[in-house]
Amino acid sequence: MADPNKVDPIHQFALTDIVSFGEGGLSFTNSALFMVLTVGVTCIFLLASTSRRSIVPSRAQALSEMLYEFVANMVRDSAGKEGMKFFPFVFSLFMFVLIANLFGMFPFFFSVTSHIIVTFALAMLVILTVIIYGVWRNGFRFLKLFVPAGVPAYVLPIVVPIEVVSFLSRPVSLSVRLFANILAGHITLKVFAGFVVTMGSLGLLGWLGALLPLVMTVAITALEFLVAALQAYVFAVLTCLYLNDAIHPSH
Amino acid sequence: MPQAPETKRPKHDDKPGSATRDLAARIARAQGERKVRAEQARDGAAKDMSGFSRGLRLGSEFIAAVIVGGGIGYLLDLWLKTSPWLLLVMVLIGFAAGVVNVARSASQMNKAAPPPPGSDLGPDDDEDDDR
Repeated sequence: MADPNKVDPIHQFALTDIVSFGEGGLSFTNSALFMVLTVGVTCIFLLASTSRRSIVPSRAQALSEMLYEFVANMVRDSAGKEGMKFFPFVFSLFMFVLIANLFGMFPFFFSVTSHIIVTFALAMLVILTVIIYGVWRNGFRFLKLFVPAGVPAYVLPIVVPIEVVSFLSRPVSLSVRLFANILAGHITLKVFAGFVVTMGSLGLLGWLGALLPLVMTVAITALEFLVAALQAYVFAVLTCLYLNDAIHPSH
Repeated sequence: MPQAPETKRPKHDDKPGSATRDLAARIARAQGERKVRAEQARDGAAKDMSGFSRGLRLGSEFIAAVIVGGGIGYLLDLWLKTSPWLLLVMVLIGFAAGVVNVARSASQMNKAAPPPPGSDLGPDDDEDDDR
């Protein structure tokens, strides 16, 4: 940053066109580039690490087997044995969010999940899967999701709208949580790092004072790695829980 | 104290095969201990992780329901030209839905809470699968 007094923590989220296709506004942005990189790195790592299929796994193979076991246990615990048919879906979502979050931790890299449109698209994918599969599998019984068992009929006019809003709030909470965590974390990181630069320009006393935000920056970086993994985990767990509702639509 | 290691050593000179059996028992015991310790470690890590995620989850569940309720009310008002009545009603319903969301996720978390470490759960607990 050339001018130390001008710290712009939002600039890192700006979308820039890399390749534009004509006048229609369609373009290949830095966000798209990092989505492609995320998918590419995930695929290459998983394919390369499991290609040898040795009985005594190498380090890379052990890592991908751990990831598989982790997600498989999560799906089995939350959605039951039947939920395992959604394992590829949940695993893809988990890996995409995890790798995209971790990519965001590299300096000068773009964090895909810091844009709500991306996380909302992922959440809509989950909810539409739940609705379509739920209706296809259960038919009208899927609507029992909105009618809790054991509720007297005269309370239903109040309870059903509440349940409907509760259901509709799922994609919003799912996407807002992921996006807000990543966005807020990156802004905090940038602001504290900016303090270091700004104070450092004040001479010796500034350098001493800059130690404090520097320590904070290091601590927040560690916290951000935790958040990156945690949010991927939360996203996948909630996906499993919602899929469980589609398989067994009764509370 | 020259007899201390003598007492610890198993007596395996009377029957053939007892040494192997003793060794097998010791291996099994050590493996069992390691498994329990690994599980305790994993439980501790998971609890630390989920304390943070639990708070985030409950908060966003609540806010999202209010926002969605308000949004639906606002759109219905625009469509039916009944401003501001449906907005008010739907924000209240969204509030209720938020409370329901929080209560429901809290009960899910309680159900998913791991049992205290060291408690014997038997070989496999699959009872929750039919939930």
